[in-house]
Amino acid sequence: TMLPLLLLLLPMTCGLEMLGHPPTLASPSLGGLMTTSTFVLEQPRCVFNEVQGDPVIWLVVAVPEAVPNFNNSVGPGTPQRAFQDFPATAPAYMTLNTTLLNYPCPKSPKRPGDITVLRVGSETSCAGDETRPTCNGPLPGPGPYRVKFLALEGSEPVAETAWSEPITLKTAQPPSSIPATGSTHSAGMIALTSILSILFAILLAGLVAMLVFWGSDTCGGSSTFSKPETVTVQRYNTHHVYDQPAARL
Amino acid sequence: MAKSNGGIRILQGLLVFGNVVIGMCGIALTAECIFFVSDPHRLYPLLEATENDDIYAAAWIGIFVGFALFALSILGIVGVIKSNRTLLLVYIILMLITYAFEMASCITAATHRDFLTPNLFLKQMLERYQKSETVNNNDKRMTERVTETWDKLMLQNQCCGVRGPSDWQEYTSAFRATHSDADFPWPHNCCVMNAQGSPLNLDGCKLGVPGYYNSNGCYDAISGPMNTHAWGVAWFGFAILCWTFCVLLGTMFYWSRFEY
Repeated sequence: TMLPLLLLLLPMTCGLEMLGHPPTLASPSLGGLMTTSTFVLEQPRCVFNEVQGDPVIWLVVAVPEAVPNFNNSVGPGTPQRAFQDFPATAPAYMTLNTTLLNYPCPKSPKRPGDITVLRVGSETSCAGDETRPTCNGPLPGPGPYRVKFLALEGSEPVAETAWSEPITLKTAQPPSSIPATGSTHSAGMIALTSILSILFAILLAGLVAMLVFWGSDTCGGSSTFSKPETVTVQRYNTHHVYDQPAARL
Repeated sequence: MAKSNGGIRILQGLLVFGNVVIGMCGIALTAECIFFVSDPHRLYPLLEATENDDIYAAAWIGIFVGFALFALSILGIVGVIKSNRTLLLVYIILMLITYAFEMASCITAATHRDFLTPNLFLKQMLERYQKSETVNNNDKRMTERVTETWDKLMLQNQCCGVRGPSDWQEYTSAFRATHSDADFPWPHNCCVMNAQGSPLNLDGCKLGVPGYYNSNGCYDAISGPMNTHAWGVAWFGFAILCWTFCVLLGTMFYWSRFEY
């Protein structure tokens, strides 16, 4: 009788398998890794492949305060796990359910074109729809949030991953916080302005000098008007032809 | 006498040459400024919305100054060859007035170019792009034109935002008020488009997968043409004014020296 009891006990303690891989954010090369209401996780490929049966893998998103007392038995779709009530009355919600077939182990080395990610918060159409409590709706605030994967067989939790590190989303600033455009004057502009001003000042000075010069001209100073031509009348000493015959006579 | 006569002749020749150069530069300035005013890159709506479009005013002044320089250079050549004092005096005074206008144009272009910083365009883009509630007709018109300009800019230059797509995430905007963050982390014009004009892979674009969205900013595409415009007006004008300064000084000297 002892043996059958022991055998009965064994399956019950192996009820919830704790797997070591907590969910991680996807590669930082993705530009949209974290936005103000979504984030991107790596798919839990080859994590649940040891689990027997045909479980459904759920993603649990919770506020950090709900993590210590988290009850795995509360099913998805119940009011305590409805997305629409998160985080006010539901400290966690469950979404992105899929079968094990969608998270296979990679058969060959990962091709560079393959992106195996889960975008949390991408469904906007059901975000306000109370009839869709397992909606993958946009997160209501910047968080932080903690996530884990939970495998359910029917309504029985059979395996789970560890909780992730807290994920904090981006917070958007208002445009008025952008510093008022401090326009610094560039060196080129200062040089241009100063050189041109100096040149213009010189030209104006030249014009004034010119007009003063002209003014003093007309008032009769040393003038370039009258040409200083010295007219020298040369007296020719003509031969006094008439004198000589007079002298001879 | 013969020597100074030769000196006068050389000065006359130099002044005629100087005026010919001024005339040609005047035409070149007019042509350059007409090119800038015609806005080949269609960026004027962005400047108009900043209410700081004085580099366009500088270009407009440049058009008229260029034409005035050409006309005055002809007057100058005639005045120098005829050695007519009245003509030359008129030439000098009108040239000084034109000089003052061109100086204003150069300084305006250079100063206002310094206002066009990335933050200015960022703020304008966030506040105006796809803004849905406009207060009056003017606001509506400016918003439409800014939206149209940004859409074209992002499509043609394969860029997104001023510094990058993160601009749409770091700040709230008029766009964000009408487009949810989950569906539109950034506008769809930031996505790489196929031949039909729709995103190649919308999910890839939303995730930010390299190759499916434009990850670089548009600031280079905006500041490049504007810099060319402002510096083209300012520095070419400066060069013309330096040359004109020499010619005017020479003309003043000639005016005070030649004899009837």
